[in-house]
Amino acid sequence: MSATIIPETSGGISTASAMRRNFWRGVWRVMRRKPSRLAGAVILAGFVFMAVFGPMFYPDNLPGDANAITRPPSWEHWFGTDPQGRDVLALVITGSRYVLLSAAVTALITVVFGTGLGLFSGFKRGRWDTVLMRVTDMKLTIPGLPLLLVLATVWKFGNPLQMGLVLGLLGWGGVARAVRAQTLSLRERGFIEAARGLGLSTGHIIGKELLPSMAPYIAMNMLIAVTGAVYAQVGLFFLGVLPYESNNWGVMLNLAVFQAGAMITPYAIGYLLAPLLAILLLTLGIVLVVDAMDEIFNPRLREE
Amino acid sequence: MITGTGITKTFKQRGGVLAGREVRALRGVDFSIAKGGAASFIGESGCGKTTLGRIIAGLESYDGGEIAIDGTPMTPLKPKQRQPHFRKIQMIHQDPYSALNPTRTIHQTLQAPLALRARQTGRSKQWMEERAAEVLSLVGLDPGTVLSRYPHQLSGGMRQRVVIARALTVDPEMLVADEAVSMIDVSLRLGILALLKDLRERLGVAVLFITHDVATARYIGDDGELFVIYRGQVVERGSVDTVIADPVHPYTQSLLSAIPVLHGLEEPGEQPVVPLESLDESQADTGCLFARRCPFRGERCESELPLLQVTGGVPQEHACFHPQRRSVIARPLSGV
Amino acid sequence: MAQPETAPPRPAPEPVTAPATPAPGVRIDGLTVVYKTPAGELPAVRDISLTLEPGTITGIVGESGSGKSTLALSLLNAVQPPGRISAGSVEIDGLGDVVGLAGERLRKARGAHIGYVFQAAQNSLNPLKTVGKQLLDLGRSHGVDDLRGLVREAKLLLGRMGLDGARVLDSHQHELSGGMRQRVGIMLALVLNAHLVVLDEPTTALDMITQANILKIVREVHAERGLTTLVITHDIGVVAEVADRLAVMYGGRLVEQGPTREVLRAPRHPYTRGLIQAIPRLVGDIDEARALPGRPPTLATVPKQGCVFRERCALRMDICETDDPAALADGPRIVACHAVGVKERA
Repeated sequence: MSATIIPETSGGISTASAMRRNFWRGVWRVMRRKPSRLAGAVILAGFVFMAVFGPMFYPDNLPGDANAITRPPSWEHWFGTDPQGRDVLALVITGSRYVLLSAAVTALITVVFGTGLGLFSGFKRGRWDTVLMRVTDMKLTIPGLPLLLVLATVWKFGNPLQMGLVLGLLGWGGVARAVRAQTLSLRERGFIEAARGLGLSTGHIIGKELLPSMAPYIAMNMLIAVTGAVYAQVGLFFLGVLPYESNNWGVMLNLAVFQAGAMITPYAIGYLLAPLLAILLLTLGIVLVVDAMDEIFNPRLREE
Repeated sequence: MITGTGITKTFKQRGGVLAGREVRALRGVDFSIAKGGAASFIGESGCGKTTLGRIIAGLESYDGGEIAIDGTPMTPLKPKQRQPHFRKIQMIHQDPYSALNPTRTIHQTLQAPLALRARQTGRSKQWMEERAAEVLSLVGLDPGTVLSRYPHQLSGGMRQRVVIARALTVDPEMLVADEAVSMIDVSLRLGILALLKDLRERLGVAVLFITHDVATARYIGDDGELFVIYRGQVVERGSVDTVIADPVHPYTQSLLSAIPVLHGLEEPGEQPVVPLESLDESQADTGCLFARRCPFRGERCESELPLLQVTGGVPQEHACFHPQRRSVIARPLSGV
Repeated sequence: MAQPETAPPRPAPEPVTAPATPAPGVRIDGLTVVYKTPAGELPAVRDISLTLEPGTITGIVGESGSGKSTLALSLLNAVQPPGRISAGSVEIDGLGDVVGLAGERLRKARGAHIGYVFQAAQNSLNPLKTVGKQLLDLGRSHGVDDLRGLVREAKLLLGRMGLDGARVLDSHQHELSGGMRQRVGIMLALVLNAHLVVLDEPTTALDMITQANILKIVREVHAERGLTTLVITHDIGVVAEVADRLAVMYGGRLVEQGPTREVLRAPRHPYTRGLIQAIPRLVGDIDEARALPGRPPTLATVPKQGCVFRERCALRMDICETDDPAALADGPRIVACHAVGVKERA
């Protein structure tokens, strides 16, 4: 039995790097399987590019053309101009940074908080679980919108990070509950029990065994949290309950309807449609990419 | 290596119409399994055999009684202190499909416990790689082809071998195999059974086999001990050969009578025992637990619980007021 | 049990007890079923010919991937895409060739002529409806006028199988044990008076004692109602208990068939022999039991030409690599193996 031939191929480091390479090759394979997924990825990449580099192409204060106020779309201004004569497309692009940055922060907080709490709660069970889930329930019962309205009276939300933080702290409850439910079902699986029986540390079990199995789930939740956050903040600005501290899509919608009168005059139609279209495209991109998550993180589905 | 005395376990039903109802999974079970020995727990599903196996592997708590591993009682110890003792006992699950993490390669699966082992004993990464290859060879797999695979790329039989290899990484003294072949293709089952038998012979690992199929239990080790469990009570206990050839408890006899007869090769036993009704957990607990289903029950069986003991001039322990040998198992036809 | 699709009640219901004579015979001839995969169309069942004599129980034994379940589904012409029957015929007395049936006629045939009991009836019952409601749905979708009569018949059948009919009809799936569900499955397959019954893994996941009970019921009900029965299983023991005739499948091919006792006593195909040898027994020398080397092929790994079993075969010859052995009949026994052919000719 001890006369075992050790094969050459099982070197530790080379295996790990080879595996990483295989993973990305698998991701590419999964994305290529449906054109819609590639389209979704392209859309998302486009938005990220727009948010990161877009504002660099424009001056801090967009110039307004007093002779072209609230114009319908034209060759010069693809989506028309706003009541100050500024180009709507430029407004959408410069406004994307606020929207996407705060949405990213929200998603990050939601997922980190929700996943962490859900995992801990579902894995430890017992007293900790009860306490944490009561807290989560209480949190879920706090109505988000009124709280935000109250917060808006003391806070200006001029900084996208602030906005993201608040929305994130309001949003993790659902993810925590869902992750806990997943954990409870996964922990009964043979491989988790085997890991416990082998004496592997809780850190290993949670980080290396549980988390990867839940990766598609978490990734999906994260992407969906982004959409939720975009809707929430755009909604808040649209309602006009937050001050117009910054340039973003919600403010644009608000001004289009209440100032430029997009409901009455066809001239402001571009002003109204441009941010709506941006939100729609972003959501579409996310929905198209979410479809691939299951296959990306499951080695069986990743293969051909 | 492990002994249990008077182990009890009660489950409380949660939720649903039966909420709060208690199910007595184990009603005071005694057992002991020697170093390198073999034992089998036999019974219908829901009889408590799996619960007992899980308690032995340290995966489940018990309400009463005492378990001692190599002479050390477990009850006074804190969960953290029990861990090193229970690590000597590794469970082989029934379902090789859920027992391996689908997102991890076999290499990763084996490295995790080996890393732990290496840290404890101060060994190198090189040793971990060698040992991974070694345990795979022990279970009859080719390390070169298996290590880089994901579980879904292996057949059920190969997965179960990987599960056994993973258990071997921590140098266990006992393997608890819970219906370890029931989800594997028939032509491959015997290979897994032979492997367990072989590991027992070569490495001196004790094997506890949990099954409803007596014939597979016999294959693991005919020198082993058989525990027939019914509704949380051991109703018959003796060496495998004695209990199979001369069962005295009507429940053991029903189990053996129920094994399909290979007509053409075998003829049915002369006095098969067929239970009157099917298992109903809600039956009353007064008297013998098997009384309601027993074709031979007497008045005493209705009111008094028979305890496990040696009486009636038979070598094995049994819990029956009317122990009687019956020829229930199929006999091979002569001239075949 | 085929889940009843919700079809509108027919204005002029056809008679439930079709003019079919009791205990129909079935003749499967040259049946091939292929599955569409990225690697092209692969045969799950290849060129199978099998006759079910009226009034007999036939057992098909095979491991996972042997094509036994696909074969059973072909009897109902119920192979789901990406699979399709690409060649051959399935003639059932009173129905004709089911491969040609489609639409409404096929739906009526399932249930009324052919009863199908799914694997241990675990997931074939609707968890949200009581058994009784599902029974009524089944009756309505088959245009049964006399629903009271149907319920009476169901209770009778359940009573025959040792259950309290009224109580079971009032129960949901989760209130029934595995053995009870299996009996409900058998009841639903028989209640429309089908005389051809297919049982797919009737005892998998059941305990020994429950298994013995179910097998006894299958045998008795088969005799009492004059059925033609097909049992699909991976367990030779199950077939040995109930079947008159045994057919062994491997890699989509029927490698051996014959009267159960004869095949068990003197198996001819090396695979059948290996399977029987791999069963741990209660008496005799333990070391006589021997595992088959290798592992069963999957759809993708089945050899494209030559004998499907050769990789694991001890009697392998050169010809096995290239030629698929033909199924040769010797009295009631049929074997598809080059090595067996040689022995007989010699």
